[in-house]
Amino acid sequence: MDYLLVIAVMVAVAIGILMIYSAGFDPIDKMNSGLYRKQILWFIFGLILMIGLTIINYQALGEFSLHIYIVVLVLLIITTIFGTPVRNTRAWLNFGVFSIQPSEFMKLALVIILAKYLEIRERDINRLRELIVPTILTFIPIIIILNQPDFGTAIIFIPILLTMLFVGGADVSHLVSIILIAAIAMVVPMILTYREWIGAESSNFILDFFKDVNLILIVSSVLLVITIAAFMFHFFSVKKFLRKIYIPGAILSLGLLASVLIQNLFKVYQKRRILVFLNPDLDPQGSGYNIIQSKIAIGSGGFFGKGFLKGSQSQLGFLPEKTSDFIFSVVAEAWGLFGGIVLISLFGFIIFRCIQTAFEAKDKFGALLASGITTIFFFHVLVNIGMAVGIMPVTGLPLCFVSYGGSNLLMSMISIGIILNIRARKFVY
Amino acid sequence: MLMQSSLRAKLQEAFRVRMYFYMAVAAVAFAALILQLLNLQVIQGKEYQARARINMESNIPIPAARGDVYDRNFKEGEKNVVLVSNRASFNLTTIPAKFKSKKKLYEILDLLSRLLKIDKDEIIDEINSGNPWERVVLKEDVEFDTIVKIASHPKKFPNIDWEDASVRVYNFSEMFAHAVGYVGSISHAEYRRLKSEGYKHYQKIGKSGIEKQYDPLLRGRDGYVRRIVDVRQRTEGEEIGQRPVAGNNLVLTIDYNIQKIIYDAMKGMKGAAIVLKPSTGEVIALLSKPDFDPNLIISKNNAAIIKKLQNDKQRPFLDRVIQSKYPPASTFKLVTAVAALETEKATPDKTYYCPGKFVLKGYRDHVFYDYDVHGTVDLHWAIAKSCSVYFYQLGLLTGPTIMMRYAEDFGLNQKSGIDIPGEVAGFVPSRQWKYKVFGQPWFDGDTVNMSIGQGFLHVTPIGMCEFVSALVNNGIVYRPHLVKEIRTNDNNRVITAMHREKVREIPLSPLTLQAVKKGMRLSVTSGTSGRLGYLKVPVAGKTGTAQTRSIRQEKYSQHAWFVGYAPYDGPPETAVATAILIEYGIAGAASAVPIAERIFAKLHELGYFTAASRQKQDSPLRKQPEAKQAAVPAPGQVAGRDAAAVKKTYGNPPGIKL
Repeated sequence: MDYLLVIAVMVAVAIGILMIYSAGFDPIDKMNSGLYRKQILWFIFGLILMIGLTIINYQALGEFSLHIYIVVLVLLIITTIFGTPVRNTRAWLNFGVFSIQPSEFMKLALVIILAKYLEIRERDINRLRELIVPTILTFIPIIIILNQPDFGTAIIFIPILLTMLFVGGADVSHLVSIILIAAIAMVVPMILTYREWIGAESSNFILDFFKDVNLILIVSSVLLVITIAAFMFHFFSVKKFLRKIYIPGAILSLGLLASVLIQNLFKVYQKRRILVFLNPDLDPQGSGYNIIQSKIAIGSGGFFGKGFLKGSQSQLGFLPEKTSDFIFSVVAEAWGLFGGIVLISLFGFIIFRCIQTAFEAKDKFGALLASGITTIFFFHVLVNIGMAVGIMPVTGLPLCFVSYGGSNLLMSMISIGIILNIRARKFVY
Repeated sequence: MLMQSSLRAKLQEAFRVRMYFYMAVAAVAFAALILQLLNLQVIQGKEYQARARINMESNIPIPAARGDVYDRNFKEGEKNVVLVSNRASFNLTTIPAKFKSKKKLYEILDLLSRLLKIDKDEIIDEINSGNPWERVVLKEDVEFDTIVKIASHPKKFPNIDWEDASVRVYNFSEMFAHAVGYVGSISHAEYRRLKSEGYKHYQKIGKSGIEKQYDPLLRGRDGYVRRIVDVRQRTEGEEIGQRPVAGNNLVLTIDYNIQKIIYDAMKGMKGAAIVLKPSTGEVIALLSKPDFDPNLIISKNNAAIIKKLQNDKQRPFLDRVIQSKYPPASTFKLVTAVAALETEKATPDKTYYCPGKFVLKGYRDHVFYDYDVHGTVDLHWAIAKSCSVYFYQLGLLTGPTIMMRYAEDFGLNQKSGIDIPGEVAGFVPSRQWKYKVFGQPWFDGDTVNMSIGQGFLHVTPIGMCEFVSALVNNGIVYRPHLVKEIRTNDNNRVITAMHREKVREIPLSPLTLQAVKKGMRLSVTSGTSGRLGYLKVPVAGKTGTAQTRSIRQEKYSQHAWFVGYAPYDGPPETAVATAILIEYGIAGAASAVPIAERIFAKLHELGYFTAASRQKQDSPLRKQPEAKQAAVPAPGQVAGRDAAAVKKTYGNPPGIKL
């Protein structure tokens, strides 16, 4: 057993519990909301699951990856339909004394099934058509979660997919094409939303083109037809130069089509949220307010912080979402640069250990599973802390191990269990 | 098998390369996080610390007590007449953000506006333009019973709160409305202008009179409590940031008794009266009618009442003593007489025959009438009987240029510089002016009109009083003022005692003064002011009846004047001068003189003319040993008038010297 990793995880959870205690403490009423007690219970439960997962062989997870995926997916669908709405989002299944968030477990389920699929298709994965199944497997939960709607959670599946495809051996040019398509798909709605929001009047023909959704549809459809024709022609006559037509054509047309989809699928506030990330001054009262207050909390912490329970921003309620989204700001305000670097270093160590596990795993499934879990941790840490310090959009992703929330803590602890499992079995054949 | 394993090795190698790449990306990302953390906490740390402080600190003002105002009879340690004081009261307040929804808030406002008669729209405007967590005053000076009722129904009036406040009390309501003025909520325009001088948007400010002029002294300085608050404005801790400094008390030169006599005498009339001591410029009474009750308009919810008063055709806000101009009528004959005598165009013995009319020879003869046939009169009798025919001819003899010069020398076309804001200057025409406005030269007919104070001349009552002061005081005029002493709020120690300030000196020969004064005395003993003859104090005076051409629909299209002083021939130090104007009164003798009669009788009763010892004691000439130099607002500075213009007018910079 890797005790160093276990200790690192336990320190991170302990910091989290202290911060949840501090965030729940009201200096005026001298009372505590008691949220930290629940988190301690979740942690004990998570510890049991973690140890439990070190006992069974992780390869069994591969055998049952489809079952796991389907079970969690069903839970996710049930939640989306029957879940208890919290702030207009049906992301939680309520069991009375506690509630769980299946979308958190979906992340792990997706990593397991992708690891298994990529292991099976190891040799053919550099072909474009092999990417279809992983993409479908990823987009099913994304679409369901978007219907909850939980924008932040949904968006994290895409980097998980891309990173797993990358380490799984997919052709880099394919991945770059996909990223380009996604970029085109995002940029067009962003420009439209921005112009609509600030009420821009000046215009030129390019922007006019983007304003008309039908026009984009027609142009991209025509482009798509030409691309398909070029591809067919290439397929039968093997004329190499045609690649120069149909590859960019496909990227452009698919990107534009996806942009129409995004423009109509996403709610205005979701698109604005990304814009506010790019420029928080756009909305100083709304989501920009959160970023500004978080930056004030972190910045005012200085070198050594204001001390435990002494942070004015978090104790007096100026910092919003202080137990989940902005828990890092509470740490950085109370314990300053010192505390912030300690916490980031802890995550650095945990992620390093996961990558190390991926290197040392005895089989491809173990390696891919470990790198997938790495990706889960890495993106949560990057996006959550990045949003607290103001270099990432406000997506509402929790900070693994630290943020309040049973489901994320359980998922993270299970993931650590799997990592311990893979490490423990690296020499067992 | 070999191929299998070599492929496996190749795949394994590819995986390792990609994982290294992945590690590098992760390392860069973590470095970026730490760099941004350094940037926020070390480089911009100070700035964010300041912003965190701004977030949590909320300064609650502690209002300073506004200074009290006393009349001239103020004695330390005695029961005094308090003209203006403060009273504890309650304000009804709310914090708009405490309401669950705008709709709920509007419902409560609707209910309260019906119960308390407050302007709902005004408050909604205020709420929408400010921070929703900031306290909004719904109604000022709410009765205790109302507070009790609201407090006992918290379900019906949720989130409605109250705070202690002090309300200005004008103890004699209308009596000092124009002299003392009133306070009101600071307006947007005033706030913009005075923000840099420390005025706050929630404060009261003097709007007119003494309250406005001496506002910087009266208001004191608000203190504040520094509060640590959370995002919902709940208090976590507090400390005194700065203690309030109470405003100074003012002792006026106004005598309550005289003011009351005039107030009672002028009941129902329209006009102005001013009484002052020529030897110092102290104003003993200043009253304008119609008036208003300041107590009714000072609180926040009285915009409608103020609007009504502003639009009133009677113009109650107008201080007719200093803000209204009238033809001086027969009172101007005194100026004509002085001009003629000083330039030696005539002697007091000069006689004219008055047949009751005067024919001005010219291209077409023009006839000027007198109200009576006076026969042959000399200057004294002409003044006493107000013989116009005499002055027509004296005016023609003297010439318009000299008359205008003397009118200007007496300051009839200037502001007196009294220490209340809003004064207007009178108007003395000139040849150039007439040519510019009418395109005509100055005619002899204009001279004839001017010699009896009709035509283009317009003067303020205070201007005429200044003129009489000059006669009494041998040509020296002191700036009229209403404030005698500035005292501390807590123990009434004198900080500054005001001293007389000479504004002009007109060289007048004793012969001229004697002749004119004799005529004025004769007017009292056996002339137009005859009613004053029986008084125990010898009064001298002159009546006037101004014809106004513009308003004919009024019952009396005449303004009645009386200017005068007492005692006749007494030392100037004991003298008191007055000017009274009654709009649309009967002739001066009939409406203005009875008021003068009561003023002089009361002045005599109070010992103004007799008790020389008392005069000495009251005299502001006395040096105050303990008095310190203090920044006293000059009228120019406080009233917002152009100080440079005042300087030009008076030669000396305005200000009250120690």
